[in-house]
Amino acid sequence: MDFIIDVLTLLHDRADFFLNLVFQHLQISLIAILIATILGLLLGIWISEHQKSSNLVIGIVNFIYTIPSISLLGFLIPFSGIGNTTVIIALVVYALLPMVRNTHTGITNINPAIIEAAKGMGSTKMQILWKIKLPLALPTIMSGFRNMVVMTIALTGIASFIGAGGLGVAIYRGITTNNAVMTFAGSLLIALLAFFMDFIFGRLEKALTARRPNAKRKVFVEIASAAIVVLLVFAMLFSNLFGKTDKVIHLATKPMTEQMIIGEALKMIIEQESDLTVEITEGVGGGTSNIQPAMEKGEFDIYPEYTGTGWNAVLKEKSIYHESMFKELQDKYKEAYDFSWVSGYGFNNTYGIAVAKDIAQAYNIKTYSDLAKYTPQLTFGAEYDFYEREDGYEALQSAYAFNFKETVDLDIGLKYQSIQQGDVDVIVVFTTDGQLNDDRIVVLEDDKNFFPSYMAYNVVRNETLTKYPELKEILDQLENKISDSTMARLNYEVEVNKKEPKQVAKEFLDELGLLKE
Amino acid sequence: MNTIIEFKHARKSYGDHVVIPDLNLKIEKGEFVTLIGSSGSGKTTILKMINGLIPLDAGNVYVEGKDIASEDLICLRRNIGYAIQGSGLFPHMDVEDNIAYVPNLLNKKDKQRTRKAVEKWIQVVGLERDLLDRYPDELSGGQQQRVGIARALAASPEILLMDEPFGAVDDITRHMLQDEIKRIHEQTGVTIVFVTHDIREALKLGTKVIVLEHGEIAQYDTPEAIQQAPANDYVKQLISDK
Repeated sequence: MDFIIDVLTLLHDRADFFLNLVFQHLQISLIAILIATILGLLLGIWISEHQKSSNLVIGIVNFIYTIPSISLLGFLIPFSGIGNTTVIIALVVYALLPMVRNTHTGITNINPAIIEAAKGMGSTKMQILWKIKLPLALPTIMSGFRNMVVMTIALTGIASFIGAGGLGVAIYRGITTNNAVMTFAGSLLIALLAFFMDFIFGRLEKALTARRPNAKRKVFVEIASAAIVVLLVFAMLFSNLFGKTDKVIHLATKPMTEQMIIGEALKMIIEQESDLTVEITEGVGGGTSNIQPAMEKGEFDIYPEYTGTGWNAVLKEKSIYHESMFKELQDKYKEAYDFSWVSGYGFNNTYGIAVAKDIAQAYNIKTYSDLAKYTPQLTFGAEYDFYEREDGYEALQSAYAFNFKETVDLDIGLKYQSIQQGDVDVIVVFTTDGQLNDDRIVVLEDDKNFFPSYMAYNVVRNETLTKYPELKEILDQLENKISDSTMARLNYEVEVNKKEPKQVAKEFLDELGLLKE
Repeated sequence: MNTIIEFKHARKSYGDHVVIPDLNLKIEKGEFVTLIGSSGSGKTTILKMINGLIPLDAGNVYVEGKDIASEDLICLRRNIGYAIQGSGLFPHMDVEDNIAYVPNLLNKKDKQRTRKAVEKWIQVVGLERDLLDRYPDELSGGQQQRVGIARALAASPEILLMDEPFGAVDDITRHMLQDEIKRIHEQTGVTIVFVTHDIREALKLGTKVIVLEHGEIAQYDTPEAIQQAPANDYVKQLISDK
């Protein structure tokens, strides 16, 4: 019950935010629905007239339909980039199957005698199509269409994964910042939207196929059709979906709470200090692997990145990164991409080892080397990919001669709960995790510098830095202003205290005295 | 006499199977010609050759003196009435729209004229006007057949092709429909080509009867002549089934 009240309160308090998302959601899904309807009908009609091709075409759309949406998006990103275009293409591709199949089934199931009668009475092919085939196939086509509408509206929820808008933003933000209320609110609105649209189209279908339509129904058809057309025109006209305006900085963030906070802070301070507008593409799914190609194409100008990630994931270097290598990193980025690492924030988001405080005190454990002595009595927990990484569990174990009693695979979201409940004694953490802001947990010192360094910087296109020379100075205002524990505290504000990233960013800038009123 | 339909050395085969080997046939204007034969004898094929639904392999078909191979088939078909078994009514249109189908194809603009034609033909086939806003599945089998005939005649064609139109109705209804089509023929003077597998129907309705055997004409004559002097054993056999 409390949960539902929380959801309703959130929807009420942030009505503008959600309304905006609903509108974006409708925009994206309606455009996809419109394109898929036209394409699907045409393709369905075409294969009904050319039966030989029907198996092949239906086979292809069937196959595409079975591709998981995440991998289809991943596949499309190199071609159409991050954002709405890719989402709309993906949605259309999925929506084709129900449209094509139902149009084809509807048309081919018509009694051939009826079509021959129409032909024998002198109808042209087009007349047979418009006067006979389509009206008779309409109920089947409509059921496919309504299916497709519900599916598309639901699937539009993945749009935010690759930086497009819509209610998926709320879901995805909720997941990233550990805010179940936000996730549920977004999902609920998607469900309501799908339900509402299905209801409208259901009524429309009834009115369209009614025998002896009465005046009331005719009026309904007219109103509903007009409303849909207006909505579409509105969506098209007011969409800056595909357009790019000048003096805009395109900023991307990875799906991590701290990136969202930094993104909001950057937007605030850049817009305050210059006449630039910052457009944030929040929490791009896949993080670096999808942001980097978009940076290369110039779709994004700037994003917060970690040195170690740049070294290993972008430059594909095999060695372990330490800050002594920063110049090499900077040079290689300039050479390969013409990007710069600027204005480091001062915090290092790397792996760390945390121990329950009572255990740390009981055995007086302060460093990893201290911990090594007691490992045979302790249980170790980490998310499963830590066990898979080359610089993960096995390397750590041999570097410090760890020999844990037991190791456990933990879901990343349940790690802290497990150590608080005493299910595990030692966990692997990230040094800026919000939940580290908890006096029951102690982070140990990596006394042999085992873990690579992941200092946070801005990666910026040099082209952007040249075009807007004022930018560098603005970014410098945040240089070395955020320590590990500050970042952890800000994350805590969002993840545990459920504040909005924007609010937290504002309060932080205020603390630093960087905000002018 | 005035020839309205003529076949010259018409030939049709499906793969290796020759349905019509070599057909020569003249049909005079105003006749009611019934085509009778066992199934597979090619009667429906001949009918559909007249409105170009089945193209010929060789030979020619002339309608009103013109070779249909060089005619616009769409235009040709609009001027030939066509009624098929099970009525072939369009289930999504009411009776009025069904009857008005061809007039609407011909003159889209002139609603008045179409409306008049519909009212005329619904009466000619003996149906009440208040059926006009019914849908086909709300009609009896006999009513459906009548609407089918009205639809075929609505554009006042010179020729009416009927493919076993009364095959799917009960005996009593069939007798009534037979009397009706005979009256309509006399009333309008339209040339009718009527396919049936029922010899009694063929003899009752036709002013001329064509008996088909394996795609060839066994006998083409008045019903009286066929009954008095059957041309061969097949015809004799056929009329003895009566």
